[in-house]
Amino acid sequence: MSYYDIDSILTDAEKIPCTFQLDIPDLGYLDNTPTQPLKAGTKINLPLWLAEMLAIANTGDIEGKSFVTFDLPPAIGNDVVQALKADPRAVPLRDQSAHFYGLATHMMELSEEKELAAALRKTFVTRASEIALHARKVGGVGHKVKADEGSNLGVGGAGEEFLRGLDEWERKLFRKAHEGAKAGKEWMEGIKKH
Amino acid sequence: MPMYGDLGNKLVQHAKRTQNLAHLPPYQTELVRAVTREVRDLDKDVASLLEPFQGSFDPSADQATACTLLVNHLSMRRNKRCLLAYHRTRTDKLEELVWKGSDVLDLAGQQGGGTNGASAADGGGSSSLSPQEEDYVRQYGDLLAAYKGQWTDIDLTGSLEPPRDLFIDVRVLKDAGEIQTEYGAINLTKNSQFYVRQGDVERLIAQGYLQKLG
Repeated sequence: MSYYDIDSILTDAEKIPCTFQLDIPDLGYLDNTPTQPLKAGTKINLPLWLAEMLAIANTGDIEGKSFVTFDLPPAIGNDVVQALKADPRAVPLRDQSAHFYGLATHMMELSEEKELAAALRKTFVTRASEIALHARKVGGVGHKVKADEGSNLGVGGAGEEFLRGLDEWERKLFRKAHEGAKAGKEWMEGIKKH
Repeated sequence: MPMYGDLGNKLVQHAKRTQNLAHLPPYQTELVRAVTREVRDLDKDVASLLEPFQGSFDPSADQATACTLLVNHLSMRRNKRCLLAYHRTRTDKLEELVWKGSDVLDLAGQQGGGTNGASAADGGGSSSLSPQEEDYVRQYGDLLAAYKGQWTDIDLTGSLEPPRDLFIDVRVLKDAGEIQTEYGAINLTKNSQFYVRQGDVERLIAQGYLQKLG
């Protein structure tokens, strides 16, 4: 991911639950109490760009303790993962996080979660084929029927609900697939004309 | 309670919206200023935190200060990334517009004039570009012109679609003055119509002076 990548920057703003491991007098403002010192054991949700480095950085003492420890965010917590295992298509990922996969990938880099990784991989593959299906359907008739794309093309209410629940990465995939189908169709029509 | 980096995030959300727009929304002067101010404040904090140590700070001896410094540093770095990404998104868009041949500076003036015509007099408020961006567009345009100048037979910014007809009907949408063609000079006055060679007027169509008919 590029330094300038907008989605990557927005992903880094996603928050994860952190616990501070030492007292820090000047950081009380992180816990909404600027006049009080931040006590060890305080739990705060910190954005990834802050949490990541604080968790990795070594405090410099012999035990190699870090400034904060972190937990998995609720977006990829047990409840969500169980629901994904049951049926990946039935979970609106967007409600968990607009950058669901970006967040999950980050967390996987920070801690080894083999089972979680496997579940997410299966989720993506299952949903990707569903996305491709929808993208082709919408692309088939072109962009003339904007108003009632869904119902008119047999995507139906359930399909609309599924598409609403796509996270940013999946949305990109959908757009690419849709544009691909459309461009292919336009090209075919161009050939016929000449 | 607002946290360090929140304003930078707002800026990036603006950039995200910009990516999906055909035009360039107004430059967020206030927000950019606020984010740079935040960086300066953080830098001052760092300086005053380090001041008592006289240049011999040992992180392992004072972990709490080390952590505060790290948080400050990361916040500054985050703001820097947000600022750079915001501006880069806009310059990417500007370059695209220059390649398309649209008259970016003219367009910017019109947009500003429409939305806040009254403030046009105070200079900065009249355009959706910052003064630096206007300068960027001007210089990038010069650069592109110099580059294109190396090939006189090919118009690098011309349409990639092969023309169906050599000649087309066009209507003049706004006065464009006199142009020279192989068949002599044409005076393009508003609302007049002409039958011209497509290659001669392609740029004027892209710039919105002419409209292709039929």
